[in-house]
Amino acid sequence: MVALPGSQIRRPRRPGTEVRRPRRPSAREAGTALLFVLPFLLLFAIFRFGPAIAGVILGFTDYTIGGETSWTGLENFRRLVDDPTFWSALRVTVIFTALSVPLSMLASLGMALLTRRAFRGAKLFRSIFFLPVVTSLILAGVVFTWVFADGGPWSRAMGALGLPAGSWLADSALVVPALVLVSVWSRFGYGMLILLARLQDVPAELEEAALTDGASAWQRFRFVTLPQLRPALFFVAIIETTVSFQVFDMIYVMTGGGPVRSSYSLVYLLYDQGFKYFDLGYASAVGVALFVMTIVVALIQRLTLGREE
Amino acid sequence: MTDTITPPGTAAPATEAPARGRRPYRGRAGRGWVVGRTALLLAGALLTLFPFYAMVVLSFKPTGPVTFPDSLLPWPFSTEAYDQVIGAKSVLRWMGNTLVYSVVSVVGVLLFASMAGYAFAKKRFPGKETMFWSFLAMLMVPYHVTMIPTFIIISEMNGVDTYWGMIVPTLANAQAVFLMRQFIASLPDSLFEAARLDGCSEWRVYVSIVLPLIKPILATLGVFVFLWHWNDFLWPLIVGQSLDMRTLTTGIASLQQENVPLNMLLAGSVVAFVPIFMAYLIGQRYFQEGVSTTGIKG
Repeated sequence: MVALPGSQIRRPRRPGTEVRRPRRPSAREAGTALLFVLPFLLLFAIFRFGPAIAGVILGFTDYTIGGETSWTGLENFRRLVDDPTFWSALRVTVIFTALSVPLSMLASLGMALLTRRAFRGAKLFRSIFFLPVVTSLILAGVVFTWVFADGGPWSRAMGALGLPAGSWLADSALVVPALVLVSVWSRFGYGMLILLARLQDVPAELEEAALTDGASAWQRFRFVTLPQLRPALFFVAIIETTVSFQVFDMIYVMTGGGPVRSSYSLVYLLYDQGFKYFDLGYASAVGVALFVMTIVVALIQRLTLGREE
Repeated sequence: MTDTITPPGTAAPATEAPARGRRPYRGRAGRGWVVGRTALLLAGALLTLFPFYAMVVLSFKPTGPVTFPDSLLPWPFSTEAYDQVIGAKSVLRWMGNTLVYSVVSVVGVLLFASMAGYAFAKKRFPGKETMFWSFLAMLMVPYHVTMIPTFIIISEMNGVDTYWGMIVPTLANAQAVFLMRQFIASLPDSLFEAARLDGCSEWRVYVSIVLPLIKPILATLGVFVFLWHWNDFLWPLIVGQSLDMRTLTTGIASLQQENVPLNMLLAGSVVAFVPIFMAYLIGQRYFQEGVSTTGIKG
């Protein structure tokens, strides 16, 4: 047994005095507490706190592994603004997010409402819908590459419906919608569980009262259930937006950013610059841009969706 | 013991009856509604499961072109792809790497996060609030911003292509500390006080009182940390560069870039999927409750 220094506590002179703690922690108590926090604190300082600050600072340098590093001020950001690849990656990321977040939330909401009651099979359906969430996007990407291939199930189905057939992944206009579908498939089960948890807490009286007052199913949903779900929807929107902004894994496997960069996302740009061209300073500048975007969108969502929180 | 002391909102599964007076609305389940609901749910389930079905069926095909929709039939059946992917490719080695990466990380995260969570919940020390809020604030910073400096640190320490280089940075999981603190804070102080009055050392209190009491959150968090590491891609891609240090995800992505035939690619995917699928079947409760009670990211 590892005995921590300072852990041998003397028996209190009077029983009961230990229970009423003094305002200020004793040096010994603080010492032991710090020992408990220390391992995590060190890890956090070295691998999270330090890198977060360094990651921003690197954006203002021309750091490359093994090379000389110098302070370049706003040079990286100026380059970023002039880089058409950055703007195209930003556009892809924003369009992808703008499509996948609402669609996935809609699917989450629909499935949450459908599986909300305790009927036979409700649990099974929930488990099925959550399965993609635990599945790696690399594996999903491999399968969906086949699904979207020319002559594959998706192109056949689209052809039968009179919609654009052929490989969506090879079409620069349809590649992002195809990726959005994969993202919805993989994420909606998560939002569904969050919304279900919240739905359980909606007081039955509210909906029963609305029913007695002759409210239609739509009215009950719109004016009773939906307002109650607002905080949960806000939460899901934030999480899903963050996840979508960082889309990378499935693009890496399914398209490699193509065709002609039409599915090249911001994190892909960061990865390429940092770990293919080893331009870590420029990659950090892309990271800073991603950070700023995340904050801005979180603030906008807070002001619009989160008003009544 | 773990069943009697459960912090609010951490134990009740979404499917069980909620607290008194908050009975869920049952509504009138008309026949039309039931039929419509069943149809929609079945359609949803089919769409959700189709890729899994395709993954398994196509992985058992002999190498060579089989066109859709014939390819969805279970025959011709062949385990050729599995023989090749397990024999000629390093899939088993990658699975070993993934297991090391996931299991060691789970143990490390749970140990350090529960220790820190205990101190943050039940102890007073200078700088406590500042530290805790800086942990939370860091959750706002996208992982990709910290990833670059973390890689530089690891490569300066010659940690590229090593297990420790891959694992150690992931142990700084602030979300885990946050969840631990929440859970431990809801346990009554008297439990720890009693042990302390009996002369137990702090470490002893942690091992024999705290750890048994926090089993539910250890299980929930453990399941998710395992999942995150099993499916992790970008960090292992950067740190595990050699063929022997790939994980299942980066390994399969590399197979795909070598233009390996589809059946082999999918056989590798099935091998990578089975363990997490088993874990999901067994620990389903923890996965689903973890999301619905803590909002932990799937």
